[in-house]
Amino acid sequence: MIRVLLADDHTLIRAGLRMVVAAEPDLTVVGEAGDGREAVALARNLKPDVAVLDIGMPGLNGIEAARQIRAALPETQIVMLSMHSDEGYVLRALKAGAKAYLLKDSAEADLARAIRAAAAGKSFFSPAVGKVLLEDYMRVMQRSGAEDSYEILSAREREILQLVAEGHSSKEIAGMLHLSVYTVETHRARVMQKLNLRGIPELILYAVRKGIVS
Amino acid sequence: MASMAVHADAADAGPGFGPSLGPRSGPGSSKLRWLLAAICAILLALVLISGILGMRYLDQMHAREREVTRALMDRTELLSALWVSIQNYNQAVQQYVQQADAERKQLARERIDRLTVEIDTDLRRYPADRDSLEAALFDGIEDVYTQQRRLYLLESEAPKRAREPLAQPVSALEKQGADWSRKFQAWNREKLRQADQAMAAKFTGAQNSLLRVLAIGFGSGLALVLGSMVYIVQLERQTRNRYVQLAQSKDELQRLSSRLVDAQETERRAISRELHDEIGQSLGALLVDIARLANATDRPEARSELERMKSLAERTLSGVRDMALLLRPSMLDDLGLVAALEWQAREVSRRSPMEVAVESEDVPEDLPDEVRVCIYRLVQEALNNAVRHSGARNAQVRVAQSTAAIEVRVADDGGGFDPVRTRGLGILGMEERVKRLGGSFRVESKPGQGTTVRALLPIRRPDPTGGPATLQL
Repeated sequence: MIRVLLADDHTLIRAGLRMVVAAEPDLTVVGEAGDGREAVALARNLKPDVAVLDIGMPGLNGIEAARQIRAALPETQIVMLSMHSDEGYVLRALKAGAKAYLLKDSAEADLARAIRAAAAGKSFFSPAVGKVLLEDYMRVMQRSGAEDSYEILSAREREILQLVAEGHSSKEIAGMLHLSVYTVETHRARVMQKLNLRGIPELILYAVRKGIVS
Repeated sequence: MASMAVHADAADAGPGFGPSLGPRSGPGSSKLRWLLAAICAILLALVLISGILGMRYLDQMHAREREVTRALMDRTELLSALWVSIQNYNQAVQQYVQQADAERKQLARERIDRLTVEIDTDLRRYPADRDSLEAALFDGIEDVYTQQRRLYLLESEAPKRAREPLAQPVSALEKQGADWSRKFQAWNREKLRQADQAMAAKFTGAQNSLLRVLAIGFGSGLALVLGSMVYIVQLERQTRNRYVQLAQSKDELQRLSSRLVDAQETERRAISRELHDEIGQSLGALLVDIARLANATDRPEARSELERMKSLAERTLSGVRDMALLLRPSMLDDLGLVAALEWQAREVSRRSPMEVAVESEDVPEDLPDEVRVCIYRLVQEALNNAVRHSGARNAQVRVAQSTAAIEVRVADDGGGFDPVRTRGLGILGMEERVKRLGGSFRVESKPGQGTTVRALLPIRRPDPTGGPATLQL
């Protein structure tokens, strides 16, 4: 049973989300919060497996709340709810430690899947997010005349990029691919260098944009 | 960006809206102006007239003096010639009487005859307009002559008889002659004195009339100066009043527009919240319900109906969100200034042919809300202008923090415009927002050379030195 904390300042939305979660046999709602501060306090008390946070909450917004919850409870995974598919939001959510990023429009359809993925330490993104990010990316590429750096990655590097983006640790990847952790780390570093990325959140964002993960 | 002046027409009408500040000169001041001009003209005319008059007087007096002197000299000359002639006559008569020699007597006689003609001519020639003294003198001289003549006639008729009584009259005549000579000198002096007096009188007259003219000139000059002073003081007061009025109304205008900006922002936020919280929330809940219903039902027609409802609700929700975002960018609250600017840049890049890049340096996360909103709106307006009017392909937004201020720069590579000539409401609005926060604002642009909008905003830190200083770019 995955224990879920719901935080959204809109009671109607929260009620809808609760019904969606409650309909799933393997999920249970352990607490509900109306703003960021309450969410952090409840998370500290309840130690849920997954906290579903609305990004735009009064007082303490979802991103800040996610950062605080992750700092206090490394075991609690975050599913971020947002109206925006913009890269600024996605990247900041990822940097704050969110595993999944859901658009509110499609929350009811994807919420259960997102919660399960996050609970398993995997990434999950609403399909529309990847689409918008890719469009932005393609436009910038086109206008600046730069080539898509994805083509210069080797097959192994792409494989590792996908696994990292999905949320696997280097140790897990090493086990899956029968490689040493050291080799995986080297591949990962090379991917980051080739794609000119700084940090895992940017790597995940890139993967989402390319449709490698969703 | 020449056509950034979409709103310029409205802005051009700007400076005229102060109450009762138009160029208006009262009817009184106009009358006074004319009066002063008239006095000035009169004064000039007076100076001219007095100058001409003075010259004429001097000329006249000079001529008169010469005339008087000449007349006097003529008369004196004539009279003295007469007198000399008479004395000569006298002598000749004496000679004639005392001479015994017939030949000599004849010579004297001829001389007497010649002198007689001369004297008669002179007597007749002497001018008839004589004053009393002159007349007495003339008569005396004539009298002496007449007596001598009588003596001569007597002697020529009866030479022997005449000898006896002659001695006495001759000496008497001589005595009389000396007397008349003295009298003549006295008359001469008197005449000169009279001429002097006449000249002095003339001079006094001229002096008086010049003095009058000068007095009038001085008086009207004084009036002119006084009038001018009054006028100047009046003008000064008017100018001061108008300046104060202008400053006041400018101040009021500033306050008003500042309050307008405030009110606008507050209102926008309220409407945005309303849209987002009430309508957005209801629509969101509706969507969740529809999805649950769709999951619960097995009937395909109901599913397709629910699908239609869902897509309608989604479209409406997205429209409401766009509206709410336009009114109040929730990114500012959710992500902070830089991320909101980046979001905006991507939005503009998505929707227009212009690519926007955002660069930031040391921008603090905890900027006051008013500063964040100001920068956000400024960038929004500048980018909008660039997209709409400049035809720019690229724009760069740069936000950087210096010691006590935050600098914002939006540059594009578009058509540019003349910022002195063209000042649209958009630019005025940006400037207003910046100035309200004590910052400074500048638009740099030239036709064909792109546009750069720059603003420097003070960051209020709790420091003991007091309020924020007004910044200069």
